[in-house]
This record gives sequence, C-alpha cells and structure tokens, in this order.
Amino acid sequence: MTILECPPTVDLDAAKRILQARSGNGQSELIEVLQDVQRTYRYLPEEVLKLIAEQLDVPPIEVFRVANFYKAFALKPKGKHLVTVCMGTACHVRGAPRFLDEVLGQLKIKPGETTEDGLFTVETVNCLGACALAPVVILDGQYHSHMTAAKLRKLIQAAKKADQQATEAVRLDSVKEFNDYRKQKAEAQKSRTTTVILSSGTCGQACDSLKVVEAFRRELKAKNLEKKVALRVTGCHGFCEQEPLLIVEPKNIFYCRIKPEDVPEIVAETLQKNQIIDQLLYTDPATQQKIVHENEVPFYKAQERVVLGQNKLVDPCNIDDYIASGGYSAFLKVATKMEPEAVIAEVKKSGLRGRGGAGYPTGRKWESCRKAKGTPKYVICNADEGDPGAYMDRSVLEGNPHAVIEGMLIGAFAVGAEHGYIYVRNEYPLAVEHCRIAIQQAEKLGLLGQDILGTGFSLDIKIARGGGAFICGESTALMASLEGKVGEPRPKDVHTTEHGYLDLPSNLNNVETWANVPSIINRGAEWFASMGTRHSKGTKIFALTGKIRNTGLVEIPMGTPLRKIIYDIGGGAPDGHKVKAVQTGGPSGGCLPEKMFDLPVDFEALTEAGSMVGSGGMVVMDEDTCMVDVAKYFLTFLSDESCGKCVPCRLGVSRMLEIVTDITHGRGTMEQLDLLRELAETVSLTSLCGLGKTAANPVLSTLKYFLPEYEAHIKKKKCPAGVCRELIHYTIDKKECTGCGLCVKACPHHAIVKQGKFCRIIDANCQKCGICRDVCKFDAILVN
Amino acid sequence: MSEYVSLTIDGAKIRAPRGTTVLDAALDYGICIPALCHLRDVTALSGCRLCIVELVKDGRSKVTTSCTLEAEEGMVVLAHSEKIVKARKNIAELLVAEAPNSKAIQDIAVRCGVKKVRYPFRHNNCVLCGKCVRVCKEIWQSESLGFVGRGHNRHVALPYNTRPEYCKHCNYCIDVCPMTIVPCPGSMKKGEEFLCGQCESQLSMAANAPDTCVMCELGAGFGCSRRHT
Repeated sequence: MTILECPPTVDLDAAKRILQARSGNGQSELIEVLQDVQRTYRYLPEEVLKLIAEQLDVPPIEVFRVANFYKAFALKPKGKHLVTVCMGTACHVRGAPRFLDEVLGQLKIKPGETTEDGLFTVETVNCLGACALAPVVILDGQYHSHMTAAKLRKLIQAAKKADQQATEAVRLDSVKEFNDYRKQKAEAQKSRTTTVILSSGTCGQACDSLKVVEAFRRELKAKNLEKKVALRVTGCHGFCEQEPLLIVEPKNIFYCRIKPEDVPEIVAETLQKNQIIDQLLYTDPATQQKIVHENEVPFYKAQERVVLGQNKLVDPCNIDDYIASGGYSAFLKVATKMEPEAVIAEVKKSGLRGRGGAGYPTGRKWESCRKAKGTPKYVICNADEGDPGAYMDRSVLEGNPHAVIEGMLIGAFAVGAEHGYIYVRNEYPLAVEHCRIAIQQAEKLGLLGQDILGTGFSLDIKIARGGGAFICGESTALMASLEGKVGEPRPKDVHTTEHGYLDLPSNLNNVETWANVPSIINRGAEWFASMGTRHSKGTKIFALTGKIRNTGLVEIPMGTPLRKIIYDIGGGAPDGHKVKAVQTGGPSGGCLPEKMFDLPVDFEALTEAGSMVGSGGMVVMDEDTCMVDVAKYFLTFLSDESCGKCVPCRLGVSRMLEIVTDITHGRGTMEQLDLLRELAETVSLTSLCGLGKTAANPVLSTLKYFLPEYEAHIKKKKCPAGVCRELIHYTIDKKECTGCGLCVKACPHHAIVKQGKFCRIIDANCQKCGICRDVCKFDAILVN
Repeated sequence: MSEYVSLTIDGAKIRAPRGTTVLDAALDYGICIPALCHLRDVTALSGCRLCIVELVKDGRSKVTTSCTLEAEEGMVVLAHSEKIVKARKNIAELLVAEAPNSKAIQDIAVRCGVKKVRYPFRHNNCVLCGKCVRVCKEIWQSESLGFVGRGHNRHVALPYNTRPEYCKHCNYCIDVCPMTIVPCPGSMKKGEEFLCGQCESQLSMAANAPDTCVMCELGAGFGCSRRHT
C-alpha cells in the first residue's frame, strides 16, 4: 500500500495563501509561486496549477510548460524523504555514481522516482556547490558531506527507523496492544502516591485557577515532590460557586476558593506533613461546620454523579488519564463482542432519552438511522448550548471530551456511520480547544480514523464551530449550518435520521446523551434503568443558578423532587430570602411556583406542569424577581434569536413581547391578557420548529401560576417585586435614615438631596437605577 | 402502484396524483385552505403557516403545514377543525396587523374570519413570504435576491444591497409579490390603517360551510386559481 502524504483531494488553502502573498505581477511571479507550492505540497498538484493560472492570469498551457520544464518541479507526489545526490564533477570523481547505484538498488527505484511505499524519492542534481566536501548528499534539507555508500545506507535506514518509531510509539493497531497500553499507563499512575486534583474549567479559570496551577507546578518543583505527587488539572467539578476547588487524593481532602498565595502552605502542610488547613475547608452554610472530605459536602452528597463524577478523574488534555481510568473499554466491548443491533437494543433497554431537551428515546433514533438508506452516514454531537442558564454541555465537553468521543464511536458503530461532527458554540473557546486536543490524541493513538484497533471499523470526527445563533441548536438548523448555509430550520416531515446533513442519514445527539452511552455499555442497561422514573431513566445534569446559595452543576437521578434539588443540594435562597419559583428548561421552559416543588423532575412531569426539562437550566427566583419581567426577558431573547422564517414565531413572539412590555409599563389591560394567552397558544401550535413551539412556555407558565402578579401590574399599576422600572417608586424611610449622605454622593442623576437630618429623593430626576439602595447601609431606601 | 392516491380531507374522499401536496389536492378539489407563501412549482417555504392542517394518525393528531405534506394513500386530514380555524385566524390577524397595505393580506384576513385587529398596526411593506426569493432562484436560476438577517432583522435584500449584474430584469419578483396591489379603499397612510373587510359579504355562505370553496374573489391575492381559470 502506498502511503501518500498528500491526500487525493488537494487542500487549496495553502496555495491560496501563497498566491495572496505573491500575486500582482502576473507571469513574472510564476516560478516563485511554483517554488513555494513545490515546497509546501512537495509536488505541483493539478488543481493548484489551475488555480495559479487563473489567479496570475497566465494561460494554463504556459503554467503547464513551466512546470514541466524545470527539474525542481514535480508533477507527481514525491516521497516523504527526499534524497538529493550531487552529480557535480568533484562528486563524480570522488565516487558519487557508485553510491548512487547502491542506494537506488537498495530502494529499488530509478533516479527521479519514488519508492512504492511513498517514503523516499531519489533525485540527482548537477552541482550543489559544496564541491570541497564532495561527495555531497542532501537528505530532507540537511547536507551530508564525504558520503560513502555505507554511510548513505545507514542514513536511509535511520530515517526509516525514525519514521517507524514515530508511528509505532503512538499508534495502536490491535485490541491487545490497546490493553497493554492501558496497563502500562495505569501502572505509571500508581507510581505516584498522592494526587492533587485542581478544577480548571471555564468557571475555575475565571477564578484564577490557572495561576494556582502555575504556583503548584513551581512549588512542587522547588520542593522536589514531582515524582511523588501528581498534579491533575481537570475540568469543572460542578461546585462552581466555590471555585477553584482542590482535592488531595487518596485522602479526599477538599479545599475550596484556593488562591495562588495558599499554594506554598498547602504543599508544606497538607502534602508534606499531612496537616489539614482549616481556613481553606468548606463551611456548610446551614450548620456552620467545617467539612474535611469532598464526599461529605452536602452539595455532593445528595447527588448521583455518573457523568460529572468522571470529570475529576481525568485531565481532559491527556488521553492517557481517560484510558487508565477504563476509558474506551465500552467501545472495545461493542466493536469486538457485539452486533450493531445488540448495541441499539441495549441502549433502547436502558431507556436513555435525549438530554438536549426534547427527550426523544436515543435507541429509537439510532434504530431509525441504522435502517435509513444512504451512505455515508453521520453522527453529530450537538454542543450548541445556547440556552441562557445552562452550561452542562460545556462542562462535560471541556472536562471529559473523550467520553463524548467514545459515545460517538459506539453510536457510529451502532448506526453504521463513518463520519462524525462535533458542532460546538464558538463562545466556548476552552471546550473547542479541549475537543480539538482530544480528537488529535485519539487519532494519533489510532482510536479514531481508519480501521480502529484492527476491528475494521472506521470513524473520523471533525469539529464545526457555531457562529453565534441560538436557533442552530435545533437539529435541522444545525445541519443546515454544518452545510455552510444559513441556520434556518426546515419542516420535520422527514426526519434528519433519514435526510439530515447533506441529505444523508444523520444521527444527532446532545453532548450529555453521548457521554452517558459508555457507562450504559460498561455497566449494563439494567443499571441505568434502575435509576429514574417510569419513563425517564438515568441521571440528568442541571445547572442550578440564580438566587440560591450553592450554585453549580447538579447531577441527580430523574424523578428527584425539585424541593430536594433546591433545598438539600442548593441550600435554599441566600440572605434569608424565600424562594418563590424556579425556571427550568431555559427559554423553552417555564416557571414553577414554590407550591409545585414536590414535583419529581422528569420529562413528563415537567412538561405536564407547563415547563420542560429542556437543556437543564434551573434558575431559582426569590421574591425580588418579577415574573412578568422574567416573561419579558425570555420573549426578548426569543425574538432576538428567532430565525424569522415562520410567521407565528417571528410576528407572534414580537407581539407577545409588545403586550408584555405594555403590561410592565403599566399600560396593560385585562383584555390584552386574554389576547396574550390566545396568541401564546397559536404560536406553540403552529410554529415551524421547536423554538417557536416552546416559545410560549415562559408566558403560559407564568400566566398559569403567577396571574396575581400580572393583575397587580395591570389593575394596581404596581410591580410587587419592585423590578419594573415604570411602576416603581423610590422613597426614603425616615425611621432608618441617619442622614449619612452616602446615597447623595452615589446618585449619578442628582436625584437625592439632603434635607435637614434626612435625605430626600427628587422624583423628577430619579432614574430608578437602584444605586442608592446598594450603597445604603441602613436599608433606608424603600421600593414600592 | 397506482398513479393516484386517495385521502380524506375534512371528510371528503379525494383522489390526487401521487406526489401532490395536501394543499394542492385540497385546493384542486375545492376545499379552501388559505395560504400566503405557497406557489406551485417552487419549493415550499412553510413560513406563513396559514395552510396548517391536522394530520390524524393512529388516533393522534399532529399539526403540520399542508404545503409540505405529501398526499399519501389513506391519509386523514382535518383542514377546518376548531383548533385549526382558530389558529389560522390568529395568524391572519398577525399578518394583517403587520402589513395592512396589501389587498392579498386583507383578503386572507377576511377569508380567515378576522373581524377585528387587536394589535397595533405596523405598516410593514414586506411579510417575508419569500415568493420573490424563490422564483428568482428556482425559476430564473438567478439568485439575485435572498433573505438577509435573523429574526426581527430578517429582510429581503440584494447582494451587498446593489442589483447584481446577473439579475435578469425579469420583474418576476414584483409579479409574485403580495404587497403590490393596495386594498380596495386605496393606499393606507401610516397611522391610518384599518381592516378593510368590504368583501365580507362574499362569504355569507362560508359560515355554514367553512371548508368549501364559495367561489369568492378573495383567493386571487393568495394564488387560489379556482375562480379565475
């Protein structure tokens, strides 16, 4: 087999860059351009020559003639290593012809030809101008003097060997080789007794985790602990509120909110003397007790971290971590011991449903893609997580990209796909980067590409970056975007599993769905199905944010009551406030009031209640949140992000926004409320895609559960939460005001003056910005 | 396989050539399904959503657009169920509030039973039905026009907002545009828009039989050719 470095289809980008740098002077640039092309491609591909003719405005025949005329140009691909033998007079008399014959015989080629394996090309040149050193040979740009037949033979063998090592060291060709590799890596990990795990996902990095990592590296080196202590920089652990987090294994000591200054102390005390540093421990806000071990933290204790739990086991940029912790074994099991149908049956039995929001049974989707006609098939990972208030996909992709890749490998095996894409938001640079590294490492090891581990199964995965459009998370819009088109959805009368990307069968699943697949294969469908409710199985990650004590990513079995999530894990609202509602499912979801908190969280129960699991955002709201304002917020978001293709979504959402804005400005009428409800129903019934179909949920759910708030806005012209600017009024409580004058100084609109002992607000100037309220130390500013 | 399929729309058994859409089958038979963005011979956009129908299958119904729904043997479709009529009326109301200065859209509103417009009028000159875009691309292979922008910024534009060299000046885009004919009372000024409704009398029979063609003149605006051929 010939391994040609240049693929049959030529990538024209490099040629375009060359042309860009040299264009302008027509034919006079031709040879220069050809030289550059020759150097880059190692030959002159026909496509490039055509492009050059076009760009330099030179007749094609002229380019062809020049390319054929000069010796430096080759029209066929040259070998990976180029041997240039000087045939100058000096070299000739010192015996060049003899070793040329020798090397040609060794490689079984003639001068100017390339060996069958595509590795070597031998060329002769009339004089290299290094006659004093004759005979001279250039191998891959490096000059070798005083050449002899024996020396040249050695050189060539060394080049061959270096090649082999380069490929052998990284590429695994069989299952046995893979298992040996895993053992070797696991052994290597055991040699270090202590592991310091540092979370450094996006949240971590926002809290200076990179500086902490740097400090650790320095400190470990200075104390000569590098051989004993392993430092593992991982993705997000989920407890984002306390970032950066640090765990010292095997003792499971848990430190939070680490600063770079703390590092020397941690190394000296905890790592060297086994002492626990009290002030870095986590304090339970409920009991004010210090907690030493990670598994005792209440936030983690109530969770079931099947997917997220893996994040702390692996360095996302190091495939060896993932392999050593048992990674890719599920894929091996599937590829060597199972039939695709059996894989689909297993996933079906597990009851796994799409984690992206709609909850479509994954096994059923795979089955219809497997049955669909047309090749090649595609598997696509949807990482276009655009919902405000959800970031679990980012965290998984960032913290454990290999789990997603392994899931895709299993899925591709099951549906019979040959190509894969990960469509990821460009707003997630770290996820893009980690994904890229993971794919590269997997390709190098031979876990992606042709004939993976000798199983005969092939899959390649590419990354496609989104361009900042919420709608591209919708399956048909995503595929249009992958094709390089405008991301507009199409009617789904025909499913994407039959006609998807490039009109070919395409299986699209969410990041979290893919990441769940390896565990299902490894631990069995029964294990997965044992968690959750009747129709919703397994665990789901939620992003718990908003007015709550412990913000972060929470993974719980389906069917866990909202109350448990919000109070036991989330710790309730901070500062003595009372939780009023929780918004689930992002812009497609709805708001559920406190009285519904005993609702088990699963696909059916939430949908029935008028909300949705959606992508898994959970934004907690307290009495300071105005529900009409929340509805307005989501409508604004949706009217910005609607693609505008269909009337109900484009006009309907903008009319809903118009009505809700009227209400928040105190211009609303009760008739408008009926119209709003009617319109919301029409939009959800008639819209083209999922965005429009669920766009009414924020309005319908707030209307259903928080009607009194709407009525207060309309009838009393009051905003009970004190949010809607047009309806609120700032006053100063004379009982509390000490006349300190802080608010007077702080007010940027000169709306507060000091009058005697107290401050007074001038209503005409007041912009209701709330700065006075923030600075007042006595809570003397009232909003009503 | 026979060349024809039979399906049921609003209880009427209809035989339609294989490959026709439910919308075309219904219009040919005389069942009135209003549509704005529908044009025969070009790809369906399914953007106006006026032609929504209920597809009844296995005891469950699914709302979908009839312009993208291909007629199949034994299909049961409801084009005038209470749910559909109400939603269609709402969409027509949205459209006429957006662009009242068009006879076609005023006609659709009347045909869909809009009696009163509850939204403030918006005096827009384009409802993004995409007829111009599609005839330019698919019939004239010119692609001189396209949808540009997203969401409320979506509009029809020329590349870089100048007429390209390859525009064939066929003016077909103008011919198909539903906004070119002003309502019968004349062009409405900004701030003075109203629901025309003059032709409501033509629909006196329609109340009793909402799903049948009453040979009104209103379809001309949205491409119903029944009365005019």
